[in-house]
Amino acid sequence: MTTIQHGLSREIDTVRREALDHLDTLRSASDATLWEGAFLGPKGQVTSLLRGLGTLPAEERPIAGRAAQQLRDELAAAFAPLRDRLETEALGLRLASEAVDVSLPGRKPTIGAAHPISTMIDELVEIFALLGFQAVFGPEVETARYNFDLLNIPAEHPARDVWDTIHVQTDGEEIVLRTHTSPMQARTMERIQPPVRVIVPGVSFRFEAQDASHEWQFTQLEGLAVDRNITMADLKGTLQEMARQLFGPERRIRFRCDYFPFVEPGVEFAVDCAICKGRGCRVCKHTGWLEMGGAGMVHPHVLRGVGYDPDEVCGFAFGLGIDRLAMMKYGVDDLRAFANNDIRFLRDFARAIG
Amino acid sequence: MKAPYSWLKDYVDTKLSPQDLAQRMTMAGLEAEQLTHIGEGWDNVFVGEVMTVSQHPDADRLVLVDVAAGEHRLTVVTGAPNIAAGQKVALALVGARLIDGYSEELKYKTLKPGSIRGVRSEGMVCSAKELGLSDEHEGILVLDLDAPVGTPLADYLGDTVIEFEITPNLVHAFSIFGLAREAGAIVDAPVIEPTLADLTGVELSDSLVRVEAPDLCARYNAIVMDGVTVEPAPAWMQRRLQAAGIRPVSNLVDITNYVMLEMGQPLHAFDLSFVEGETIVVREATPGEVFETLDHRIRTLTGGELLICDGVKPVGLAGVMGGVNSEIVDSTTSLLLEAANFDMVSTRQTARAQKLQTDASARFGRGLDPELAAVANARAAKLILDICPGSTIRCSQDVYPHPPIVRSIAFDSSHVSRLLGMQVEVETMLPILDRLSFQPAYDEASGFLSVQVPSWRSDVTIKEDVIEEIARIVGYDSLPATLITGTTPLVERDPIFLAERRIRQTLVAAGGFEGRGYITISDADVKRWDFNETAGLGHDLRDRPLVRLRNAIPADDNILRLSIVPNLVKSVTKNLKHERTVRLFEIGHAYLGTDPNLLPDEPSTVAIALAGQRERFDRFDPPSSEDGQLDYFDVKGMVDAVLDLFGLDDVEWTPIEHPALHPGRAGEVRYRDQRIGIAGEVHPRLAVELGVEDMRLAIAELNVQLILELAATANRPEVKVARFLPVEQDFAVVVDRGVQARTVQQSLRQFAGPLLTGIALFDVYEGPQVGEDKKSLAYRLTFTAPDRALTDAELGKVRKRIERGIQTRLDGSLRA
Repeated sequence: MTTIQHGLSREIDTVRREALDHLDTLRSASDATLWEGAFLGPKGQVTSLLRGLGTLPAEERPIAGRAAQQLRDELAAAFAPLRDRLETEALGLRLASEAVDVSLPGRKPTIGAAHPISTMIDELVEIFALLGFQAVFGPEVETARYNFDLLNIPAEHPARDVWDTIHVQTDGEEIVLRTHTSPMQARTMERIQPPVRVIVPGVSFRFEAQDASHEWQFTQLEGLAVDRNITMADLKGTLQEMARQLFGPERRIRFRCDYFPFVEPGVEFAVDCAICKGRGCRVCKHTGWLEMGGAGMVHPHVLRGVGYDPDEVCGFAFGLGIDRLAMMKYGVDDLRAFANNDIRFLRDFARAIG
Repeated sequence: MKAPYSWLKDYVDTKLSPQDLAQRMTMAGLEAEQLTHIGEGWDNVFVGEVMTVSQHPDADRLVLVDVAAGEHRLTVVTGAPNIAAGQKVALALVGARLIDGYSEELKYKTLKPGSIRGVRSEGMVCSAKELGLSDEHEGILVLDLDAPVGTPLADYLGDTVIEFEITPNLVHAFSIFGLAREAGAIVDAPVIEPTLADLTGVELSDSLVRVEAPDLCARYNAIVMDGVTVEPAPAWMQRRLQAAGIRPVSNLVDITNYVMLEMGQPLHAFDLSFVEGETIVVREATPGEVFETLDHRIRTLTGGELLICDGVKPVGLAGVMGGVNSEIVDSTTSLLLEAANFDMVSTRQTARAQKLQTDASARFGRGLDPELAAVANARAAKLILDICPGSTIRCSQDVYPHPPIVRSIAFDSSHVSRLLGMQVEVETMLPILDRLSFQPAYDEASGFLSVQVPSWRSDVTIKEDVIEEIARIVGYDSLPATLITGTTPLVERDPIFLAERRIRQTLVAAGGFEGRGYITISDADVKRWDFNETAGLGHDLRDRPLVRLRNAIPADDNILRLSIVPNLVKSVTKNLKHERTVRLFEIGHAYLGTDPNLLPDEPSTVAIALAGQRERFDRFDPPSSEDGQLDYFDVKGMVDAVLDLFGLDDVEWTPIEHPALHPGRAGEVRYRDQRIGIAGEVHPRLAVELGVEDMRLAIAELNVQLILELAATANRPEVKVARFLPVEQDFAVVVDRGVQARTVQQSLRQFAGPLLTGIALFDVYEGPQVGEDKKSLAYRLTFTAPDRALTDAELGKVRKRIERGIQTRLDGSLRA
């Protein structure tokens, strides 16, 4: 019995010595894995010792079992910190070998850019939605009735000269490319009853030679509000709110008397130059003000023309050039850039406004 | 309208500087577009007197001139033909900066001392051109005899010309006097009335004028004068005309122009000896009547134009231009002055039909005050009497049957504050309206304000016009900025705008750059893209007539686009000059003709055009030599991404034949039997014609409007949150080559049943392994059950069902 016992205990000692000797030679995580397999793994020597216990007589098993168990615990305890150290070292090596130049370009998704005018329209639609204005859209090819007559611009009236008009060939009916977004004033009022608050973003056309500040095709924003007691001060406040949202909270709006047949009184409105704060600079041509568009109180003839009663309701209307607004806001100096579809411009612009 | 400040000051007594006056008037509705200073560079130029003129000793053409100018006295050498002793001239001393009189362009030079043919010249006597007063360089500028010798020329002749933009409603300010009257009201300064000829006692004729077309001629005022002499107008008058942009001719013609500028009433002077019967007949032209205008053009009239005739023949095209046959000539001694009121519309029509826009037609065409005619004619007569000593007024006639009734407007004065949104006191309104000649009256009991509109303010017809008069003089700077009060109307968001925005976002995320191009195309484009013959691109163009413009820019691009593609493709070509990859898209309207007298349909449309290298050209995606070009599947992929936005459950792609497109790489997409768009590669022949060589040019166009309408009725799948893990299985379906991928996918969907939650085609194979005329399509199907984990047994049944289905439906098989 003792021989057997001794035999087992010798075997345990041999395994212990062998294992601990080997342990001292481990230099890498893979060595450690091999070691763990050789001694503590399912097919390792310690495991087979433990499995061999079953062949011992029952009375010897507890002592031998404890000894073998002790060996396993002892080896595991000696192995664990070493393994941790070797694994940490190995991870450190791997991470060091994986280091990259963080300044190298990333895997960038291919993204394009929206047109600046679309971006501007989105912005205006959002600003005016906050003020309760709905965006409506209408035909770009219009009848003279909506483009002129209903806007208090009768045929043969000198006011009609203000708009250099592009005409459609017809069999008699006067059809034009709308010279402004204003036809939607009448179209909207014919459709709904006051209170009305709409804006109309859209493309418009004039028979005009092209240069850096003139385009025959351009984009306008129309605004219209009709209710029981709308005032010209409300017009100023609404435009001021727009200017503040676009150009900063300190902006102010200035009116100067001007003439548009579909409003009375009529004004041209300007915003104080955000660059020089109104002191005068190159951008505002040393006036301190940037002209934005025309506005005024809806002419009673226009209200009557759509079946409203000017004694009951009144309102304001305004129009401005979105292209010019974008030029002003983003410092573009040539209107033609907006119709060029040059990717370099579109890309740079998207970056500039991002 | 160019207004010299000195001329304005004749009629308004203000101390304001030209800049300040211009600013105040601009804010009140008379926009000063530009201020030009006359005499800005005249630092060393003085009014001089020519003492003696003597021959240059060595040159026949030159003279020595002894000029005195206060403390300066010097001899200058000149070749000016018109110099004479006793004249007052502009003397430039060394150092003066003058315009080069011999240069075609505007060039300045600084005067240096020099010798001309051995005689030292210390200065120069200047021409009008050298001083920047006009283009005249034939001789020196001769000043009026009362010019103050020795004073700097700038003090005597310096001026500021203010150029006003006159809006169509302000014809009453389309003159020096009109502007001065406005200035007086705006800055509260006294206005000085013009001096007129005293016509009391002048014989009133009743045979001088006969108006046969009273509807077109509300008034005709004629004055006959004798004893006139034709010679150059005085220097001051010539200078003013030049400053205002009119070339001086001779005294009588200049006076009519001067009064037109000053008073705003066009006048005409006839040489009485050419007026047969010494009588004027105003009548409508007969069709085909022929007449030669002052510009020596023969005018054929269509009939109905207003003509001024003498006893026999036409002598003037009313309100537009006089005739050659009766113009003032050097020998004129008697004249007939016409100051009439011609109909606005008739004048506009005649000027437009004859393509003859004149200073006169510009004024009549805006609607003149008939009261002005007699005043302006008396003003002209006064100037003639002053300028032509010995001239007399023989007789006059004023045909003016129906002077207009003075319009009065009365309204509750509280309207002013209510419309403007700021408090304006009646005490503020009354003096303003008074300055504007509206003769205001206020009734305290009723609070009503009443005004009498002056004859020259035909633009003021309603109370809002009067309120504007008050507001523009008070000034809009005092207007507060408030926001609208009251009920906020309900806002509906426009579905097309929202759809367009989502499409834009999707295409930008897919690498597209958004363009916004012109809406016109040319006949060449229509031919190139075969818009006449085919079913079009994104839109069906059968029975859609072209919509043409009468005056397009440029003239050849006179057709409204039926498709966004042609112009977008041109932009692709342009961009390819500097880009290796071009992905452009545009969202806008197409214009599809209906009836020639009705508006075209304008469906919302999106077009995409791609060309170039697909790779990003970076280290992760370097350029490859093969298969690196954007093609049909790139553009179709973008279309698929757009269609996914709208939840169209099953769109159908079929190949199409279109002369502009690649016959094997073009398809149309249909939903419920309606074409919603196309995608394809441009035919290589057309691509080359469009400037795209060695590259595929892929385009697509979708009818957004129609897609949106159809999407409203599409069966949208329910959105469920999956709680159980999905199971993926691969199926390689072998079918005949001719079977469309869409059909295979449809069958897979159908036979997989409700457990199918995803399907992706990941390989297409044709080759020996599947046999001739066959292809294999490999799909990965995803199965999920809403309420349980799927078992192998369940999936086995599904697989069997699919296999059977493929076999019976498509005559295909599943590859192991």
